[in-house]
Amino acid sequence: MTVIDSPPEEITVAPEAPTKGTNDLARRVGSWVVAYLGALAVFGAFMALKGVNPFVAYRDMFDSTLMNSASLSEVLIKAAPFLLAALAVAVPARGGLVNLGGEGQIVMGGIAAAGVALGLEGKVASGLVMVAMLVGAMVAGALWAALAGVLRVGAGINEAISTLLLNYIAIDVLLYLISGPWKDSAGFGQLASKPLADETRLPTFGSDGRIHLGVFIAMAAAVGIWLLLRSTSWGFQLRVAGGNGEAARRAGLPVAKLLLSGLITGGAMAGLAGAIHFAGVEGQLRPGMTFGFGYIGFLASWLAGHHPIRIAGAALLLGAIAVAGDSLQIDAGLPAASVNVLMAFVLFAVLGKKPRLAGASR
Amino acid sequence: MIAAQAATDVGGQLLIVSVLVGAVRSGTSIFYAALGETISERAGVINVGTEGCMLAGAMSAYAVTAETGNPWFGVLGAAAVGGALALLHAYLVIARGANQLANGLVIMFLGLGLTSLFGASYVSREINGFKPYAIPGLSSIPAVGDILFNHDPLTYLSFALGPAVWFLLFRTRWGLLLRGAGERAPVLSSYGYSPERIRYIAVGLGGLLAGIGGAQLSTAVALTWFENMTQGRGFIAVALVIFASWHPLWAMGGAYLFGAALALGPELQVRNVGVNQFVLDALPYVMTLAVLVVLAKRSFQRAPEGLAEVFDAPPVS
Repeated sequence: MTVIDSPPEEITVAPEAPTKGTNDLARRVGSWVVAYLGALAVFGAFMALKGVNPFVAYRDMFDSTLMNSASLSEVLIKAAPFLLAALAVAVPARGGLVNLGGEGQIVMGGIAAAGVALGLEGKVASGLVMVAMLVGAMVAGALWAALAGVLRVGAGINEAISTLLLNYIAIDVLLYLISGPWKDSAGFGQLASKPLADETRLPTFGSDGRIHLGVFIAMAAAVGIWLLLRSTSWGFQLRVAGGNGEAARRAGLPVAKLLLSGLITGGAMAGLAGAIHFAGVEGQLRPGMTFGFGYIGFLASWLAGHHPIRIAGAALLLGAIAVAGDSLQIDAGLPAASVNVLMAFVLFAVLGKKPRLAGASR
Repeated sequence: MIAAQAATDVGGQLLIVSVLVGAVRSGTSIFYAALGETISERAGVINVGTEGCMLAGAMSAYAVTAETGNPWFGVLGAAAVGGALALLHAYLVIARGANQLANGLVIMFLGLGLTSLFGASYVSREINGFKPYAIPGLSSIPAVGDILFNHDPLTYLSFALGPAVWFLLFRTRWGLLLRGAGERAPVLSSYGYSPERIRYIAVGLGGLLAGIGGAQLSTAVALTWFENMTQGRGFIAVALVIFASWHPLWAMGGAYLFGAALALGPELQVRNVGVNQFVLDALPYVMTLAVLVVLAKRSFQRAPEGLAEVFDAPPVS
């Protein structure tokens, strides 16, 4: 650290980032380091219990996650749907709404993309099919979220509960389609839809041709949502409506419409996540293809305090952990899902560290 | 062989009876979890991690049963592990101020991770789990006997637990304190009680019951263990608690309703009625939403007041 005068406390650098003293910053960084090391230690202990040398396992996980370009692209590919799923939580949260339905909105997005592909493939230019898939998925995700929104503003049904229930209905719709009307007859008994034609899969970039267009779409969406929430009057009004609905109503704001629009925008982001995973990675619908994405997105949003740009960082972290899980399976012979233990303790460290938000819990 | 067995049973059993038998059989694990979640939410803490507690219970029960040969030890293990996970949730939300919904999801992922880590070696193991025990006399009553009196011991235990939890919550001093912790925590404090301590106990009990629910699933119904075997039953339980307006006996009915929907598909297929299983699977969720719409105002008025704060997320800047 260079010896410069730390800025006086009262000067604020930016409205979003209140100035912290260097001491405070050091303490914050220190406590984060302790938290992450703690999470690594706990998971290391569990691995040791299973007879795996944690030091070797961590080295392998690190090497195969962050040390070569192929695995780095893997992290980006995993993080992209997490990022969109987290935006699906962050926008409604601005209006004080809890969207636990990313999981289902993602599935609906994937279904819509597949449906568009089934209907249009071979009939119009593949570029057009792609655009239609992405738009269709956003509409489907938005509609699925709108259901919960209408129940909330119309009947007063809590959106956390309705979105949770709608997740299961969406999954059943997916399973119904791929076991019935959309079943791939060449699927050898596996439940799956007909694979996308190569030319309708999202274009890929980079030397290894793995990073697909969806990664850039997700990044652009984060910046777009950030600007939308920060710089438009809609973003401001949404926050006011979420902060004190009664006051907002008296000030003449259309609170119900604002809340609905927040959920719909979130749902569109989740739908997009389903589309890019379908058209960029999977190429066909299959059961459980996006299992956990919505919930991981929920946690990424919480990890980042619902801030769109910080969410990108949280999504990358969780994407890296997910990729590390694959390495755990290949190198250490432990099930890939074991890495959820590591993820859980990282999240505990962060969730349990936040200052109590008013009303978050008593 | 099982299919052939079922097919021969078709002639002897009415569809409605078979479905009700299946309702109790596959509803019981959900009922345990919903009962636990009712206790927890009555004290003001929602545990979306019930799914993780169930999963941990299912895996621990299976592993302990495989190692000891006695499923009752498995149940003890399941209760302990499910309770421990729930206590971790309680600690983080009560003492560390973590958001209940987010932290619950983390508990779910922790349960998934732990059980895949420690359960992998049990995937192909076989166990001597719970067997159905036909209660002499009662089980020979036509229809009713099959539906109610030819089950595994954990199912019989659950018959008693529903009313017992109702009594505990609504007819005892401790139940009053517990509900007080969920409704009027400051009042409780002013009388010298610790709402925090009551919540720890309630959340722990909730996880313990969810763990036993998991045990019933793996050691009495499925008699197998595989990764993520609860497949959302814990989330169903959380939704069910609202469906049941935080009432233990309604939770029982709700759980069997879910069980019936799960059982209906296979029973229809045995009878060569072509219905897509997944359409039936969606029914309970659609029904729950419909019930919420009908009861909307009333239902949420019955919610413990402490929960309102969880659902009304704090605005973020």
